[in-house]
Amino acid sequence: MTFRSFVLGLSASFGIAWLFVVVVPFFKMRDLQPVTFKEGLDTKEGNYFPKRSGRVANGAAVYAENGCYLCHTQVVRPTYAGNDLYRADWGGLKDNGEGVDTRRETNAFDFQYEKFAQIGVTRFGPDLSNLGRRVETNYAKGSDPAAWLYAHLYNPRAAVDRRQSACPSFRYLFEERKVQGAPSNEALPFPASKEGEEIVPTSAAKELVSYLLSLKKDDVVPASMNFSPKKGEKK
Amino acid sequence: MSQDTTNTPDKDAILRASIDRSLRHPVMFFFTSAAAWLAVSILLGLISSIKIHSPGFLSCAGWLTYGRVFPSHINTLIYGWGAQAAFGTIIWLMSRLSRQQCRAAGLILTAGHVWNFTVLCGTVGILAGFGTGMPWMEFPAFAWPVLFITYTAICVWSLVQFKVRPEGHTYVSQWYVLAAMVWFPWVFLTANVILHCMPGHPVMAAGVNAWYRSALLLLFFVPVGTGAAYYLIPKVTGRPVMSYTLAKIGFWSLAIIAPWAGMQKLAGAPLPYFLPYLGAAATILCAIPSFANAFNLISTAARSGETVVHSPTLRFTLGGLIGLATFGVACVILNLNSTLPLSQFTLSGYGFDLLGIYGFFSMVMFGAIYFIVPRITRREWLSRRLIKWHFLFSSYGLAIVVLVALFGGLMQGVGQEEFRSNWQFVAERAFPYAIFMTFAWIGILLSNIWFFLHLTLMWLRLGRRSSHPTLLLDGHHGSPHGPEGDIDNAGPGHASAAH
Repeated sequence: MTFRSFVLGLSASFGIAWLFVVVVPFFKMRDLQPVTFKEGLDTKEGNYFPKRSGRVANGAAVYAENGCYLCHTQVVRPTYAGNDLYRADWGGLKDNGEGVDTRRETNAFDFQYEKFAQIGVTRFGPDLSNLGRRVETNYAKGSDPAAWLYAHLYNPRAAVDRRQSACPSFRYLFEERKVQGAPSNEALPFPASKEGEEIVPTSAAKELVSYLLSLKKDDVVPASMNFSPKKGEKK
Repeated sequence: MSQDTTNTPDKDAILRASIDRSLRHPVMFFFTSAAAWLAVSILLGLISSIKIHSPGFLSCAGWLTYGRVFPSHINTLIYGWGAQAAFGTIIWLMSRLSRQQCRAAGLILTAGHVWNFTVLCGTVGILAGFGTGMPWMEFPAFAWPVLFITYTAICVWSLVQFKVRPEGHTYVSQWYVLAAMVWFPWVFLTANVILHCMPGHPVMAAGVNAWYRSALLLLFFVPVGTGAAYYLIPKVTGRPVMSYTLAKIGFWSLAIIAPWAGMQKLAGAPLPYFLPYLGAAATILCAIPSFANAFNLISTAARSGETVVHSPTLRFTLGGLIGLATFGVACVILNLNSTLPLSQFTLSGYGFDLLGIYGFFSMVMFGAIYFIVPRITRREWLSRRLIKWHFLFSSYGLAIVVLVALFGGLMQGVGQEEFRSNWQFVAERAFPYAIFMTFAWIGILLSNIWFFLHLTLMWLRLGRRSSHPTLLLDGHHGSPHGPEGDIDNAGPGHASAAH
């Protein structure tokens, strides 16, 4: 085998895979075509376009810098790849209060305004695809969802039913400062180390919480891409 | 292909000694700093392992949070230890096998310093909270162009050496080293350019990242480790490789299969359906090169069993090859249609990476270091006991970490699939395994602190002045390397040493 044929062989064996697995899919997905709602099948019209509000880009950076993706995933897998969709509150809510099952799998439009989809590495913690929805309806139960998340990030093991949580405390995203006039309405319900001080979130914590609350991947999708577990049950 | 012997052994010994001398500084620098990074990485790994089961441990400051310590652990393991151990081995192997002195030692050494400094800045960057959030690529964006340029400055000379080598045989080791030198820049540049410079779909960005992780492992660490093993085993045992055909099958099957692997980490994510399943199939098929090479090399070594027992190089290399065979098994059992959902988001992914990087690659690198360092420093290892302990603690510690992570991961996966059980119970399933891992990491950490100290003493030229190889036996036995004073760096006892 000559040097020439060796290098040619290497380039071909690697290059073909490189082209088909990386380059072509990259450019194909960059020009993703919108999916439309169809008359008769769907209740809506026009193109499917998930809504998302909050400081997504900044918050995603805080999420990345503090390694949240190491323990939390952001993907509700279709039923052929795992049982995520059957969990009562991961892909949406089994009952959203009006008797409607909003659960659905993650789709390619769910990562709007993000550069890198934090699919995740390991699930030491729960999936966060619908954390925003879960906090609003299940955890905060009528109180301010942002305040619930601040308290949870400050001390994940404060609540009695969360004593076993392995989530690290993100105290360093909060600061203690002197109470000036009336206590801040963002102040956490934990005592500060010094008298006359209060614990408030830094801007990084605000961005992170805004991002986490924007995680509501349970909107109505066109029937052509809807595989909710409810459909299977009906049959 | 096992020996460099020609008709003029004296001239040959002088050539080898001059090659070793020309590479002394860069190779020793790479090995010693790699060992230091390994100790740092394992310490960080230990801290993050404790944090999995005891989240309150060292939780006072932001830079010690799990989400920053763990990426620092992985990145220092890859770029601090893995890449540098590989560089040292690549440039030495290429010079020896192409029979040429290195003429760019100064430049390589400078580039090595830049590489180290970049890894340091990158690690501090992660700990300070500037990580990118892309697994295995967490160094802040300034790092990758510098790493790429310094990589080129370090390895391009080995390509040149191969190109202008004297006519003759191409060794199996050279295929692997050469291929790794083609694959690494291609993989590294593709992933970094796409993820840092080209806006694309966020899910595909995650896909490219998953492919990068797999390709770095299968197309850089695995071939460098295999190449080194194909050199060390025939060299120390003095026997040719058992089957040349099997070596060829191993090489080309890896070259053809491995580039397709990787995206199984994203099974179920909104990517084109075929990508993750193609990745899973390719990873399963990577068992073929793993088994072919492990079988070929272990069989070669098995023909001289006593040498294996006594030679530190062979002991580590063989340990690594057993790791490679296990790696082949893990390729299959973690990626089957039935087990992929269990292994995807659990500890077993981490166990698999560690098995490849530490269980195979690093063990072979330790073997290579125990072989190369006495030749380039012209000093022998100081302590048999340190080597024995290094082997004992490393191999047992790693076996525990890997088996616990692989099995614990699958158990964790079974819990995750039981969608009716409370998530908290599922999460707690990982704790006992994490506690096991913490203890094993302590053993591995100890072993590598000894290793680093031993290597530093060698670097300071404090090794034994002897031409007798360090063998792991008690009392005086005959040397398996031949008559005393006959190791190929032409030590002080050798006639040609005067030249």
